[in-house]
Amino acid sequence: MRARAALLWLAPPALVVAGPLPAWATVYLTADEARQAIFPGLAFTRADLELTGAQAAEIEKRSGVTVRRRALSLWRGPAGETFFVDRVLGKHEDIVYALGVGGDGRVAGLEILEYRETYGGEIREPAWRRQFTGRTLADPLELGRGITNLSGASLSCRHVTDGVRRLLATRALLLG
Amino acid sequence: MPAVRPARAGLVAGALALLAAAPLAADENLLGSVYGAETLPRGRWEAYQWVTARLGKADGTYSGWDLRTEVETGLTDRLQAAFYVNTRAHDIHGVTGLEDRSSFQFQGVAAELKYRLKSPYLDGYGLALYVEPGYNRVERVSGEVEEELELETKLIFQRNFLDDTLVWSVNYTLEPEWAIGTQEEHGEAGEEHAEEARRELAEELSTGASYRLAPRWFAGAELAAHSEWPDFSHREHLAVFLGPNLHYGAERWWWTLSVMPQVWGWPDGQVSGLQLDEHERLEARLKVGYNFR
Repeated sequence: MRARAALLWLAPPALVVAGPLPAWATVYLTADEARQAIFPGLAFTRADLELTGAQAAEIEKRSGVTVRRRALSLWRGPAGETFFVDRVLGKHEDIVYALGVGGDGRVAGLEILEYRETYGGEIREPAWRRQFTGRTLADPLELGRGITNLSGASLSCRHVTDGVRRLLATRALLLG
Repeated sequence: MPAVRPARAGLVAGALALLAAAPLAADENLLGSVYGAETLPRGRWEAYQWVTARLGKADGTYSGWDLRTEVETGLTDRLQAAFYVNTRAHDIHGVTGLEDRSSFQFQGVAAELKYRLKSPYLDGYGLALYVEPGYNRVERVSGEVEEELELETKLIFQRNFLDDTLVWSVNYTLEPEWAIGTQEEHGEAGEEHAEEARRELAEELSTGASYRLAPRWFAGAELAAHSEWPDFSHREHLAVFLGPNLHYGAERWWWTLSVMPQVWGWPDGQVSGLQLDEHERLEARLKVGYNFR
């Protein structure tokens, strides 16, 4: 009966703490692949933007979502289409996604480019992403109001949904 | 119950180490002592190893180690269940009122049900009910064998701020405990005293917050005020712990470390302002969790 034996139980957590596993990286789509998936065959021109403080504040007001980054990665299409690549907070890592918006301001498509969370891989499934297609800023676009939740991925679903609303507000303000 | 021999403990540790090496990482604990309101999704499984070190009395050398191995699963998207196997080790030398000992013993088992009423992501705040019946056989402070049954009940509140980068939780815990076995095993000074010692209520109010410093990393602080009511009738003591915590979460595993010194205790004794009869100067806890997808 030695307390030293108890110390052996510390070995597994010590191994984990002392030797973190390599970073995981799951990139499902590149930006080009996502753009082709949403707008097949269309040619786009890169048109990145840097928001001013006043613009960011107005976007926050219109969308109800905090603007965490003022630098925007976007492409413009021949008939006023807009293709955004954006990132939002996941539980552990950022979620990188792409949003296509038609010239009429409706969502043309949503694609998940990078997702690294424990649960909620279903966020990549077409059934969840299709909920956004055809929506505008005037439509219900909140988790639990117009957009259904995925169990175990509530934070991811909420942040992607909020991100879509923020980008629609961005487009309406600056590119509409 | 025989103590576990070091060789056997080593084998168990080795097996867990292999588990650690496998690529494994929802009810992820951001805090060491305070629970959040989230539950595992239905059909998911998670394994934890807890190590809690309780260190320091008023005099002598004292260390108590509480080890919990836990398996948890989501029964529904709102209800999760867990099963615990607990062991306990003590190293006590020259502490007034305690017999010297160096021991590593099987402590008991427990089961848990946690039901989420509200989600912080869907409802603006999280709320969950928690119940954990358990069987214990080793007294926490002395390491002596004293069998008891307990029923830990908890109300869990969670609120997120700053785009969910700051998570704040509050727990209120009531835990009645009943000694089992003969009165001779538990009584010290007559039948009346023995009866009184046979049941007790532990009460704890705890709160903590954790902020996402960077991807995967959270840090914060937590506070716990613990008191006990022998015979459910009067508060015997109160001890308050306060300290920092650090959390790392990867895709399929995570760890959380909290270090909580006792900052105030009543009634105090040899050390002014600290309750060192029923508690220790410091509680440090490491939890490691693995999510099986």
